[in-house]
Amino acid sequence: MIKRVWKVIEQFHFLLFCLLVLSLPLILRRFEAGDYYLSVLVLAGISSIVVIGLNLLMGYAGQISLGHAAFFGLGAYSSGIVTIRYGLSPWLGFALSIGLNAVVAYILAEPILKLKGHYLAMATLGLGMIFLTLFSNLAITGGSEGLSVAKLSILGYVLNSRELKEVNYYYFTWSIALLLMHLALNLVNSRVGRALRAIHASEIAAHSIGVDIAKFKTQVFVISAVYAGVAGSIFAHYSTFLCPPDFGLTQSIRLLTMGVIGGMSSIWGAVLGAAILTMLPQLLDVFAEYDILVYGLVLILAIIFMPQGMSQKISLGWEKLTGQGSQGS
Amino acid sequence: MKFADQLLQYLINGITNGGIYALIALGFTIIYKSTDIINFAQGEFVMLGAVFMSTLYNRAHLSLPVSFGFSVLAVAAVGILMEVLMIHPLRDGSVISQIMATIGASIFFRGSVMLIWGRNDLFVPFFSCGQPYRFFSAIFDRQYVWILVIALISMGVLHLFYEKTTHGKAMTACSANKKASMLVGINVQTMVILSFGLSAALGAVAGGVLAPFGMKYDSGVTFGLKGFCAAIVGGLGNNVGAMVGGFVLGVVEELGAGLISSNYKNALSFCILLAVLLIRPQGILFIRSGERV
Amino acid sequence: MLAAVEPLLEVRGLSKNFGGVQAIQDLSFIVKPKSIKGFIGPNGAGKTTVYNVISGIIPPTCGQIYFQGQKITGLKPYRIAELGLVRTFQNIQLFHTMTVLENVMMGRHIRSRSGFFASSLRLPAMRAEERRIREQALETLAFVGLQDKAQAAASSLPLGHQRLLEIARALATEPKLILLDEPAAGLNTRETSQLAELIFQIRNRGIALMIVEHDMELVMDVSDEIMVLEYGRKIAEDIPRNIQSDPKVIAAYLGEMETQSDAEAQEY
Repeated sequence: MIKRVWKVIEQFHFLLFCLLVLSLPLILRRFEAGDYYLSVLVLAGISSIVVIGLNLLMGYAGQISLGHAAFFGLGAYSSGIVTIRYGLSPWLGFALSIGLNAVVAYILAEPILKLKGHYLAMATLGLGMIFLTLFSNLAITGGSEGLSVAKLSILGYVLNSRELKEVNYYYFTWSIALLLMHLALNLVNSRVGRALRAIHASEIAAHSIGVDIAKFKTQVFVISAVYAGVAGSIFAHYSTFLCPPDFGLTQSIRLLTMGVIGGMSSIWGAVLGAAILTMLPQLLDVFAEYDILVYGLVLILAIIFMPQGMSQKISLGWEKLTGQGSQGS
Repeated sequence: MKFADQLLQYLINGITNGGIYALIALGFTIIYKSTDIINFAQGEFVMLGAVFMSTLYNRAHLSLPVSFGFSVLAVAAVGILMEVLMIHPLRDGSVISQIMATIGASIFFRGSVMLIWGRNDLFVPFFSCGQPYRFFSAIFDRQYVWILVIALISMGVLHLFYEKTTHGKAMTACSANKKASMLVGINVQTMVILSFGLSAALGAVAGGVLAPFGMKYDSGVTFGLKGFCAAIVGGLGNNVGAMVGGFVLGVVEELGAGLISSNYKNALSFCILLAVLLIRPQGILFIRSGERV
Repeated sequence: MLAAVEPLLEVRGLSKNFGGVQAIQDLSFIVKPKSIKGFIGPNGAGKTTVYNVISGIIPPTCGQIYFQGQKITGLKPYRIAELGLVRTFQNIQLFHTMTVLENVMMGRHIRSRSGFFASSLRLPAMRAEERRIREQALETLAFVGLQDKAQAAASSLPLGHQRLLEIARALATEPKLILLDEPAAGLNTRETSQLAELIFQIRNRGIALMIVEHDMELVMDVSDEIMVLEYGRKIAEDIPRNIQSDPKVIAAYLGEMETQSDAEAQEY
């Protein structure tokens, strides 16, 4: 009997997760600070989207990026500029954010991804810093003064207006996050996902049996940039104010840390890591003074003692619990 | 000021900054040669050097040179601890995890300093007081002279260490070929520890000479990144390259900031970094360092 | 069947310099369809370099390579694999983070097409293709005798099985020609004779093979024709029996043969 319950859970785990995500606001509504928790979860959803893309790039294809906040920022500023500077529809902002990220990533991918290991890390870090300087100095981004962004309205209905603000935006963010998560889960369990893992494992072998490595690296780089862009646009309309430091090296590292803690070779790990790292400092006030310190320490300990991230520990625990050695993605 | 005078002033400032960058770049290079790891906490060694020195001077009331010396030793100890506690367990880890671990260490250092010393700049007095020197029409701050002199002395000492001492030679051997070094009886692990100590000490020297300008918990980041650009520009894994890279970067950056716009000063270094990585990943010098890219 | 006489692989005047060293000098040869060509030579003769150049990993200094009449010099390795020319590696190159089955499924990569779009949406065509890939990979695994290990981690296999897996992955690409690089290195006598059997079976499927190998017995046994390389130069090319009695080959090999028979003597 219990075996069958495990089986059902395992078979429909993504569906169950969707249900959980959708029902959370109903539960949180009963708490006084429910709106606050929801706002934290919105941020967790936004980070999840970026980290899913980052994990495709790093955990699957094995290509490090220390500059992903640049794509996050490019998405956010696209939305901000389109709606504020030109007064156009926010959906155009989303479209531009996706398009611009795809184009920029496509142009950068070929030369950048020729580099490997530490050299790639340095090049992406450099790219991130260049973008940060542009965000902080261009007139169109508002420079270091920042840029105000309008709230998101759909057919005249402002999604994050005063009442129901958090609930609405929560559902908006997480439906996109779940959709993108679903696509990514499909992707990694496919011919493409296999090819990405193959490139990670041995470029020589992948080449020798006919994998067009440059093409796949470029595609996965573009996808991860687009994910970051979508997240950036969602973030822009949520925070309604963009300032350059949100898109700098610290942000890139924060996103990477989420991947590391959750587990880089796992889509679930991305969501898990994003959720943990967004919620932890918010929920525990104790961290207020120590946050940077604890954050550094957690990162170091996670890497030394949990190199595959939390998602792997959980899937091992699950296998133990259900007494089987089956898949865990 | 005439254009030529302006140019001279930029050059002097650039060379002084270059001395700092060169010291930090050397730190990157020393660790990279011994472990194949880029230490993203290198800038934090600089910050720690200044912070320790200011504490020793202001709180323990030691003299400037003594504070300077002890702070260098203390930071070297931090570097060694970092190797033993963190880098060593990860020696067979993936590149990504090594990078993330040193980033974790840098965050940890920043966090600790913020907690203990707060968020304000810490200072020590300038090493010597008096009017700045004049070199033709350009102004040469006294501290700049100290920076350049101490940087050059450190490089000289490092050079002697590599060329003349057994340990220095053993380190060179290790970076050239680990297995062979092990076979001839060199303790590779000791060399790795030594390289972390040495690299941290160089960072602390840079921090010490910069301390009069003030330094706080997050000041190391920028220095780390600049030193890192310099190390790449000179060709990673090559001491001479790191020094040349440091001075080149310092001068180019200062000229760019002066002649174009100071807002883009940071971006300029990173554009140079990217250009070098994409066009000449082995660095601007024509030295074969035997690195795979 | 005049077409059968056309060479499958034709190498013309191939040279490769590394710095000042001439690794390959003016090498020309052909591989006929469905044939097995032995490729031997003392250590450092340049055999692996020849493979690296043919498979597109490194460019030749000069010379041309034709595969099925098409010039492949300068093509990217993945294009060459698509045309039906694949190789294995002396130091085995498996995808160690994947299962045995997944390794062979990677071999189907170039014979399938679902891209990012179809894969992320799990379109019906993609699912059907995925099923086919799996079936074909299982078939190939059964062909080399590794069907029981399908779900094992590739890195957990013993060396002999890893070599078989690498061959299975190459076979899964539906090649016309496989370049084997020391497939018997590290195998025991029993495994080596099984390998010989497998090589014949592969040829019976209509696939040509080229084999770099130090195990002379194996090479003499399976090859239709043997080419001998010394210091990057071809010094002989003939049927195995003539190679064995060729004085130039014997001279080139004297040292090597002796050490090998010494090693064998110690083994028994």
